[in-house]
This record gives sequence, C-alpha cells and structure tokens, in this order.
Amino acid sequence: MLMPPFTLHNPTTVEEACTLAGELLEKGEAFDWVAGGTDLLPNYKWHINPKPHVISLARIEGVDTLSLHEIGCMARLGDLTAENGIHPLIVEAAGKVASSLIRHNATLGGNICLDTRCFWYNQGEDWRRSIDWCHKADCGTGAECRVIPNQNTLCVATYQGDIAPTLMVLDAEVHLIGPNGLRVIPITEFYQLDGMKKNVLEDGEFLLKVTLSKEAAGRSGSYQKLRVRDSWDFPEAGVAASWIPGDVSSLQIATTALESIPRCHPEEVSAVLDEGWDGISSIKALAAGVRKSVQPVNNTSLPPRYRKSMVRVLTKRAVEKMIEEIQ
Amino acid sequence: MSGGYRQQPGGSGHTTRKDGKRVAGKQAFPPPGSGGSKPKMATRDLDFIPESVGGKEPQPAGSHIHDRVRTGTSVGKEMPLVDSNAKVTGQAWYGDDVRLPNEVIGKILRSPHHYAKIKSIDTSRVEALPGVLAVATGADSPHRFGVLPVTKDEHAMAVEKVRHVGDLVACVAAIDEATALEALNLFDIEWEVLEPVFDPKKGLEDVDEPIHWRGKYHLAKTNVQKRVFQEFGDRSLVEKPHAESHGKWSMAGVHHGFTEPHAVVAHWGPNGRLQLYTPQQVPHYTHRALSTVLDVPMHQINVIRTFVGGGFGGKSDPFPHEMCAAILARKSGRPVRITFDREEVYWINRGRHPSHIEVKMTADEDARISGFDIDALIDGGGFASFGHVTSYYNGVLATAPYELGSFHYTGARVWTNKPASGAMRGHGAVNTRCAVEVGLDEMAETMQVDPIDLRLANLLPPHSRTISGFRITSNGMREALEKVRTGSNWDEKFRKMPLGKGIGIGCGFFISGSGLPIHWDPNRFPHATVHMQVDMDGGVTVHTGAADIGQGSTTAVAQVVSEVLALPIEMIHVRSHESDTSPVDLGSYSSRVTFMNANAAIRAALEIREQLLNAAWEILGYHPNNLILNDRRIYYKHDPAIGVSYLKALHKAQEDKGALIASGAYRSPPMGGVHKGAAAGLAPAYSFSAYVAEVDVDVETGIIQCTNVWAAHDCGKALNPLAVKGQIIGSCHMGLGQVLSEKMVYGRTGHLQNANLLDYKIPSVHEMPHVEPIIIESCDPEGPFGAKEAGEGPLLPILPAVVNAVYDAIGIRLRNLPLTPDVVYKGIEKALKASEFDDPTDLPSPTLTFSSMQQKLVARAQEHKIRDKARQRTEDTSPYVNGVLFGFDPTIPLEDQVEGWRIATEPDPEQLAELGLAGRAWLKKEQRQMDGEN
Repeated sequence: MLMPPFTLHNPTTVEEACTLAGELLEKGEAFDWVAGGTDLLPNYKWHINPKPHVISLARIEGVDTLSLHEIGCMARLGDLTAENGIHPLIVEAAGKVASSLIRHNATLGGNICLDTRCFWYNQGEDWRRSIDWCHKADCGTGAECRVIPNQNTLCVATYQGDIAPTLMVLDAEVHLIGPNGLRVIPITEFYQLDGMKKNVLEDGEFLLKVTLSKEAAGRSGSYQKLRVRDSWDFPEAGVAASWIPGDVSSLQIATTALESIPRCHPEEVSAVLDEGWDGISSIKALAAGVRKSVQPVNNTSLPPRYRKSMVRVLTKRAVEKMIEEIQ
Repeated sequence: MSGGYRQQPGGSGHTTRKDGKRVAGKQAFPPPGSGGSKPKMATRDLDFIPESVGGKEPQPAGSHIHDRVRTGTSVGKEMPLVDSNAKVTGQAWYGDDVRLPNEVIGKILRSPHHYAKIKSIDTSRVEALPGVLAVATGADSPHRFGVLPVTKDEHAMAVEKVRHVGDLVACVAAIDEATALEALNLFDIEWEVLEPVFDPKKGLEDVDEPIHWRGKYHLAKTNVQKRVFQEFGDRSLVEKPHAESHGKWSMAGVHHGFTEPHAVVAHWGPNGRLQLYTPQQVPHYTHRALSTVLDVPMHQINVIRTFVGGGFGGKSDPFPHEMCAAILARKSGRPVRITFDREEVYWINRGRHPSHIEVKMTADEDARISGFDIDALIDGGGFASFGHVTSYYNGVLATAPYELGSFHYTGARVWTNKPASGAMRGHGAVNTRCAVEVGLDEMAETMQVDPIDLRLANLLPPHSRTISGFRITSNGMREALEKVRTGSNWDEKFRKMPLGKGIGIGCGFFISGSGLPIHWDPNRFPHATVHMQVDMDGGVTVHTGAADIGQGSTTAVAQVVSEVLALPIEMIHVRSHESDTSPVDLGSYSSRVTFMNANAAIRAALEIREQLLNAAWEILGYHPNNLILNDRRIYYKHDPAIGVSYLKALHKAQEDKGALIASGAYRSPPMGGVHKGAAAGLAPAYSFSAYVAEVDVDVETGIIQCTNVWAAHDCGKALNPLAVKGQIIGSCHMGLGQVLSEKMVYGRTGHLQNANLLDYKIPSVHEMPHVEPIIIESCDPEGPFGAKEAGEGPLLPILPAVVNAVYDAIGIRLRNLPLTPDVVYKGIEKALKASEFDDPTDLPSPTLTFSSMQQKLVARAQEHKIRDKARQRTEDTSPYVNGVLFGFDPTIPLEDQVEGWRIATEPDPEQLAELGLAGRAWLKKEQRQMDGEN
C-alpha cells in the first residue's frame, strides 16, 4: 500500500489554521484535516478520497485541553482514559475504542468526526474496481451504492464512533471553527443524515473542542458496546444512557453504529416515561422502542437483523447498569 | 601413541591392593557425580525408568532405539528457539527485508472479474510510460505448474481466462512503486465476462464453461476437480443402530492469517543463474516449478528461503508471483521485488476449504461405533493447489483413534470462482474431525453415557491398524483423555453447571509426515537429507533444506545433533536457507519436518560420532563399544578418568583429511493398503490429542467466551517442551479463531468482503482462554528419540471441544462455523420459540442421568487400559487390527472372515441413489466414458 502524495501543512495556531484553510478554499484546492491520523491515513493508503493537501492540527498549541467541562479536539484518547476528572461516561466509551496502541494516537476530535464505514467502501482500489467502484469513495465514476442497489442518492455507510453517543446523552456542545468564525452547537445537531456528508462541518471548518455544562457533569450513565473482539473492533452497535441520578425523567438514550449517524432517542424515552416509570417493565418497553426505531443495513461484520436485536439487550443493560450504580 | 588424556591405562584392576588399601598416587578416579564412593559407573537399564524417578517400573512406553545415543545434552530440555534472538532483535531477514543493488519494484495487475476470457491485452501504453522497465503477461509463461504433479493447473499469469477476482493478469517492473502502480492503469484489456460459480453445490452441475478442463478425465461438464469414494468394513453393522447421530455442517473458509505477507525478490546473477529470495515453506517445489515455468534447468536456479513470518500451510505452494518476479527480472535485467498487500494475500489464499460436511454415525447395543458415514463437499476456489489430497484427508483422517465397525466416505472438491483453497494447519482433518467429535458427543447424550468414557471404551490400542489400513504405532490417546479429565475436574462439571456455563471434550488424530512424498522422482529419493561438517574448531555445521517457518525445525535439528554429539547447542550451526548448499528436503508440510529431518540428522550425527569414537580408539586403545561420548569428552565406559577431549579426538580423526563430513537421510518405510488412495493419510507415525474446553455463553447476545482449555497432546517425545507448549497454545488460538470468529466472507456478489485484518477477525489477546498444555510422551519407535509431530494435530480438538461446551452451556447444537454471536443468537431464538419461555435466561441447562450402559463402558475402558499398557510397552506384541473389538480374528484378513467386509473405492451401482451431497459427483461419468454423449 502506497500512500498517495499530499502536501502536509503544520499550522501552530488556530488562527493560522483557519487562514490556511481559507486560502486553500479560495484556490479551489481540496484538503483534509488530520488529528491523530488513525482514521484518515488508513483510508488514504487505500486511496479512499485522498486530497492533495492535509492540514495537521497536531502542532497547534492549546487544543488538547482535558478537563471535566472542556476537552480539546487534539486530546488523545489514551490520555483521556488516564486523566482524573474527566466524566466517567466519556472515559468508559473512550476506553472501549479500538486498542490501546490506537488510543495512544487517536484523538477526541477525530473520533467525533470519524468517517462512516461500509464493507463496500473500506477496501483497496483494486477491490473497488472489481465491484465497479463505490458511490462514496469513487465519486465521478457514477457508481451506485452497493449496499442498497438501485438507489443512487443516499450513502448508507455506518457511523461507528464510540464517544459521540455518550456526549449526546451528556448534552455536550461542540465548538466549530473555520475561516468564517466560531459557532457552538449541541452535538445532537452536529451529525447530518448522509454517509457522505456525515456532519454539519462546512468547508474549511474543524471541530475545536467539546464542552460540558455543569448540569451535564452531574449526570451519570453507561455505554454498552457490541463487538466480536474486545480489542480493535469498531462497534457493531452501541447504546449510551444517562440520567441525573435518581431522576428518571432526566433519562436520555443515544445509539451509535447502527445508521449513518449516531442519534438520541427522545421520543422513545418520553413514550415510556409518559406511561409512568415502572422499573423492569419500563426498561423492557424502552429497549423494545429503541430497537424498533433503528434501521441498520448490511455493511458491517454482523448481520443487520442481529444488530437490531441487540439494541434491545444493550439498551436494557445500559439502563440497568446506570440504575444499579446508585443502589 | 600421541599423549591423550590418560590415567591408569588398563582400568582399575591394578589400582587396588589385595589388602584393600589404596595405592598412593593411584587412586581410582570416581565417575563424575558418584560422590566418590563408587569406583565404577553404575550400569543403567534403559528398559526401566531411572532410579532417580522411582526405578523398577518399566518405561511407560518401552525403550527407544535412540536411547543408546542419548547424552542428556539437549533433548527434552526447554530451550528457546535458536533463531529467536534474530527475531526479537529485528535481525531476521524476511522476504521484504531483502534489498539488492539496483532493484526495481514489481506490481501485479489483478482481475476485476470473477470469471472472464481475456480476448486481448494491449500493453503499448504501459511500455511507453517512463520508468517502466518490463511488462509481462500470460504469453510470457505458457507452462503450467502446481504443487501436486497430478494437478498442474496454474500459470504465472492468466492464459486465456481469469478464474477469480484478484487472479493474476499481467505484471510490470518499474523504477519505483508509484510508477508501477500508475502503469497498472494503462493496460488495455478486452474481456468476455463469463457466468461465475460461487456455490460449491452448483459446482456439481454441468455448465457451459467449466473453470478448468481436464480432457478425457473431466467429470462430465461439471466443476468437480476430485471425487473420492471409500468404504471399509461390515456395512451390515449399521443397519439396526442402538444409537445414532446425524449432523449437517456448514463451515466457512478460513485463512492462515500469517503476519508476513508474501514477498519475493528475483535476480538473474552475472552468470545467468536465477537467485530467488522467498519466504517459502517448501522451497524445493518452488525450485521445481521455476524450472518448468522458466524453462531453465534446476541447477541454474538458487532458491533462497528467507526467514518465514508464519506459514501454517499458506506458503507451501509454488506461487505465481514468484514466477512473475523471475520473469520480470529476466526481462528487465534488474533485481525485481514484489511485496503483497494484505488484500493480495487473501486473494492468493490457500486457506482452509469452505465445507459442507454431513456425518452420520451409529453405535450398537454395546456402545461400539458400528459406522461412520461421512460426506464432504469442499469448495476449492479457482485452482487445485493441494486439493487432491484434501479431498482424501477429509475422510480418511477420521478413521482413528476409534475402532470402527465400518467406514463410508464420499468426498468431492469443486472449483468455484473464488480464491483457491489449499493446505492449512491440520490440513483436511479439522472440519471432519469437528463434525465427528460433536457426533460422538450427541451419541453419548442419546445413550446417556459420559462422552469421555464412550471414547475410552472405543479406542484403537497402540501398535494396531486402522480400518483403512494405516499403521498405528505409539498411541497416547488414552492417557491424553485421562489427563484432561482429571485436569479439568470434568466429573464435577459436565452437565452440572448452570445455564451459560459449559464444558466440552474433543479429540484429535493427525499424521506425522506423509508416508508418500509428493514428488517421488527420482526413484527412492529420501524425504529428508542432512549434511554435516565438523571442522578443526569443533563447531558443527548442519546443512538441511528443512524450512523453519517459526515452528522450530532448525532448533529441533540443532538439538538432536547436540544430543548425539554431546555438544552445547551453541556449537551447532544450521544452514538451511539456500538450495545451492542444502540437500533437498521436501519442505514444511504434513507435519513431517521434525520427524523426518531430525531422523536424517541423527543418522548423520551418528556417522560423525563413529568417526570420533574410532579416533579415540586409536588414542586410547579401547574399542568404541566401550567408549562413551559425553560432555565434550570421549572416555572409557568403566573408568571415566581415562579419556580424551572431544577436540583431541576430532583432530585425530581429521588427520590427513580435514573437516569431517557426514550425510544422513530418511525415507519412510513401505506400509499401508493397496486400494486406490491407500497412500493418502498414510504416515510413519500419528499424533493424538484430547482437549477439554470451558466456555461462558451470554444467552442474551450469543457471545461466547472460551475461558479455560486443558490441552493434552501426544507428541511421542517432547524434544523441546517449550516449543511443544508453544505449538499447543498457538494451535488453540488458531482453532478458536475458526470456531468463534474467523471466516472469509463472500458477499451477495461473490466478492471477498473482508480481505483485511480488521474485518477478518483473528482472536485478540482478550479472547484467549487460559490454556494448560499437557504433554503426553508415548515414545514412538520410529520418531527421532521417540518424537512425533506437535505442529498441526493440536489444532484439531479445540473446535469440537468448544462446540460441545456450547451445547453443555445452552443445550443447543450448532453446526455452522464460525459460531459468531449472530449464529448463536439465531440458535437461541429458535430454541426459545420451541420452548414455553420468552426470556433466554429462563432456558433450561442440559442435564444427564447415566444409563446402565455407563458402567459397562467404564468396565470395558478399564480392560482396554490394561491391554493398551501391555501393547505400548511391547510386552504384548500380538497383531491387532481394527475389528478385534467386534470379535474378529486379527491374524486372518477380515475380508476372509466376514462376508461383505468391504474395501471399496467406487460405489456399487445400487449405492448411487443414496449418496450424500458430495457423493452425487459419482452420478457423473468421466469424458472418456461418455463417448458421443455430449
């Protein structure tokens, strides 16, 4: 595997990075941001959407902050799991990402902005040629989506990040910065349903940091991850749950690795809460509701039917574990 | 006589006075370690165990022919592999580490189609690209090759048609990788796409364009590459079974997953000879194939085996990319290096065959196994590779360790448009073994007996013959079963644990070297040859062609030489990389290397030993029969003080001729039956193993965690217990992968979906159970110092042990491998539907109450234990053949005793209607029998 050639830019301040991005945009040059590189570089080696320019965030000072209320985009997952004072739910999810070797390099920003995955997409160039190219990787070839043939508009590649659902149930906010300035939005509004667009980041923007409000910091929760091997593997399904301990009405559930975006499930939660909380039977109803609301497709290791069934088990376990913790 | 180290010539006779007092200055030197009280070395009776470990008891497995050359130097001692320092310090040179001056990079153009004819290839645009030095296509390599002489069906690059996605079409050599990759996009090829076949069941049907054409031997117009029928024994025994089991299995293909991708460097030297550097398990076959493909005599080719970063069978074919590198190097005049991406590794494959296996078995009212009925349809992919042999192994390697009333096997291997399957650790035996062992478990369940006792009461004894005519020599099966039973605390756990916790048993049986070599020309050519050279410095250089692929064959050779010559292992230097300097060894496959190569090495070392003893004879005046070689000294048997140093003796032996040289060879003895295919599965010795696995099953998710394994393997004699334990643990890991998570996924379109190490799920350290390796030493009469194989056999039992343990945990028989969580969950869902429960955690855990049969089996096993002990020690040397358990006389051929005792290799016409899936291949005729029919 030969990495395609690209020009690497190493800005040292956020402003410089934004200016650089603005200049490249103006020139019409395509580029990618790189943080830890554990997601982007393997894709480059497979010649999946390589760009002529790559802007690295690694040399920028002050974007690797690690605290209860603020985590910078360059915070390494390995440091995040080792540091005291980070929200335990984030630590739990970060600790389940890939392997310790990868966590050493991988960053929070990279994990949140993880590229969507699909077994028709994450393949070498020769392989993709044999399927007559992929809709997401080989734009311009006119290739159709191979997951669901005969539909050409939507990419259904799966988002397989572990940390996003936990941030969602913690009401985290993401800070996005680019040539046009800074904007702060709830992470629940960050993702955008399409395996190619993935999120609301505009050209030239990058994710600067994640912040957690004081109220959110008081929440506790659990993250349940389904995978074949306890190391390396991306989630085949993931469910995060949180609440303000003791207060059922504050319950929030988010899922990941089932669709092109991670998402919260407020309707399913309120449907159960409206019926009145009744311990085990409510948990079961909630689990069934969340299961029903997700639509996985056949593009990861395990079959979608099974992954969907497991959402019920994972939701149940997440909520049970969360409740158990205060007892 | 030159002054050797001599004291008191003539022994101790002159040194004692009649009055018992010592003579001044003439004390008898006590032998080392005797504490001075015994003037003479105690004689040791090798038939009995040493007094230090109890004495009096006969050797458990009898004495061994090599015992008289034991020096206690290295055999049986735990020692790190001799090449381990090179590996852990990064100094081992693997395929891609070879760098030659001026080398260029080769890249291969691969087929984007499953199955297509190449109508034309235009290379003009490629050749015009600056930096491209050579281009080659199928037209440059018209000669066929293949690992087996009977099935040469490969070309260096596709001639006429491509047979799977990733098949080689053309190759280029360019000044760097980027240019070579760019060049690949410039080929103009006109294809005619053909209808591909992916499902092996479809491979049995007639098609317009079979993937290969075998002329008059082609089976109708099907894609069947090989069909096998074997039937032995008395089939009437299965008619009224007391108990039976019937299972249909579907097993996914798995890949070896070795660390090092294939890599090769080819260079035509200044004198026009080819030097080919490649990580090969069987460099000799590559050597032969290169000679054929390149049209160059073998003596003009030097195959250099680099360090091999794992092989497991996946580097034992001569490979087309090796030919490509040689062709490109010849065309460009520069050394050419080709290194594979992981994707290419999966495309060249040669992993375990995806299989559909059906096993029926029956037991009679005495719980004797009256019949095995096996049908195996195996998916060969695009090429034959080792498939001819695999087709046999899937059946015949199930004929032991149990005594059978009858045996019936139909097998077929079909070509499909997928990467070729081939040989993988446990070649051909693994899948059927799993099905058979699970069948036995099920049969024990119906008879309400303990599955371990069922096995113990049906074992073939040592020094016996299987129903298919294999010669069993040493046999540690019984001891292995007993050890894992006590080790795992089986009797307390089996069918007694709560839902989700289970324990299971599985056994294994594997060849230790194949009796017939793949190539037997020239006639009576040895399987292994070892050359040895000892120069004036005393170091021993051993030349062998045996390919160390990490299994430790180099260490094994060094150890046995060190043992015979009583030299520390640091003085033994093994040279095994170059075909120019190494005598031919057939390679690292079928677990033959330690057995055959170490035997050859012992013979060479004995020759050196003889030369040394003769030299010492000249110095000391004692006949070699009375001399002992040990501790770098040669001394008089009855008075160790009289001796000469190793170097002195060596220099004496070297007078007027210089370095001592010796050669040793091994060829397995003639044996086995005479029926068609009798040689398949024939081996000079067999290994036996029994594992108990313990699992936790999460009934809500179907996730299985194997927690503990007790793994007993009979390797005859552990030359290096550390290496044997490593093989056992490594085998567990590899087998667990196959049973729990590894599979080559061919998707809806027939493409291999997971050609990378993230999606091809080899278990990580988290999935590894605690493995307790238990070494059983049955001391094989033919093995080197009693040793048998330990590299492949240990893989077999882990699969059935886990599958049986899963049944013990959740009461569900699963027959789709691997048991990924979704497969298990599906089984649980099905069981739930059939039960009155909604929640899987309410499912009942299986229990067992023994029937009266249990006591009978225990009693029979006890009798057999006494029988086996006597036979193992050769106190009882009466003949024993499969069938004695059923009351037959072992001294008369069975076919003369029983009317209807069959030894058949073709079905009778009336059988045709009832053959299994693979058996249906027998409904077709070969082209030569079909005159005018199509």
